[in-house]
Amino acid sequence: MVRKISFAILSVAILVTGVIALRKLNYWESSVWIFKLNSGQLTEGRTGHDQGDGRGHSGFRDQRRLERAEGIEGRQRPGERFEGSPMRDFPDSIRERFAGRGPGIRDRNFPDSLRQEFPQEFSERSGRIPPDEGFRQRGGRGRGEFRGGKKINLGNVLWYLAVFASFTVAAIYADKWLRLIRKSKKTELCQ
Amino acid sequence: MLLLMDPRSFYGISFHEWAGLIIGLPFILHKLLNWNWIKKVSLGFFRKCSGRARFNYVLDVLLLAGITLMILSGIAIARTIDFSWLNLGGSRMFWRVMHTSSSFITLALFGIHLGLHWNWVLQRLNLKKTNNGEKN
Repeated sequence: MVRKISFAILSVAILVTGVIALRKLNYWESSVWIFKLNSGQLTEGRTGHDQGDGRGHSGFRDQRRLERAEGIEGRQRPGERFEGSPMRDFPDSIRERFAGRGPGIRDRNFPDSLRQEFPQEFSERSGRIPPDEGFRQRGGRGRGEFRGGKKINLGNVLWYLAVFASFTVAAIYADKWLRLIRKSKKTELCQ
Repeated sequence: MLLLMDPRSFYGISFHEWAGLIIGLPFILHKLLNWNWIKKVSLGFFRKCSGRARFNYVLDVLLLAGITLMILSGIAIARTIDFSWLNLGGSRMFWRVMHTSSSFITLALFGIHLGLHWNWVLQRLNLKKTNNGEKN
């Protein structure tokens, strides 16, 4: 019995973490993003295999939307100050304070819920993310390229793991529930 | 697979691309090992199969489509491996969005797939007895 209860508590914890991860990664938005693309976006700016040139791509705004859909809002981009995963979890006001810039006039009156609702607008307003043209011209990576390097950052992986685990747990319990229903129906028929 | 999901997490984009390609091999192997089940359910999908087998079959087909799209879009947007000779067409943005969407959907489908085969996994790991009461 104790084992069952502890499993149930663990499952609830996994599910709750999964829901948080779903929101944090913009999971739903990213999953259905492909179905929201219009026909113009299917063909424009094709450059084939590129190694950081980036010419002919759609605009910077589209790129920001894409990155938002990928759930990487607030992550490090070329030319941007590095913020480790613990720092990313803080609201913008705290992060700016740490950066020694203080709260921006435009930003400080907005609650975090609004930032989550319109992350693109906020990030563009605050000007934290400079366009990467200069970076590319210096021979760096192209748009969407990642620094990678030799460092392993498992912070992002844990959120994906949480989503994966929550789907697994949900499937296990849904399966059990369906089996129970089927079993009870069978016993009813037998009686 | 999870570690490969985010190129920022694990040794960068080059590793992400190579490992993404390589991970396709165990997937093909997995399909080959379960070829008899695929054949059986494919032949009897509308007649003999149970609802559960049908659901698993549909899920597996979706997983196959998801992985194919993931690899295809990954090839189209690859930066460190030159696949330009394949000339896949379509905009770069389309392929990036396709890569993101397909990988997110496939991850969820994998979770459901594992959940539905959880008993089998426990039996394989000797953590659960089989229906006959014997350890597998």
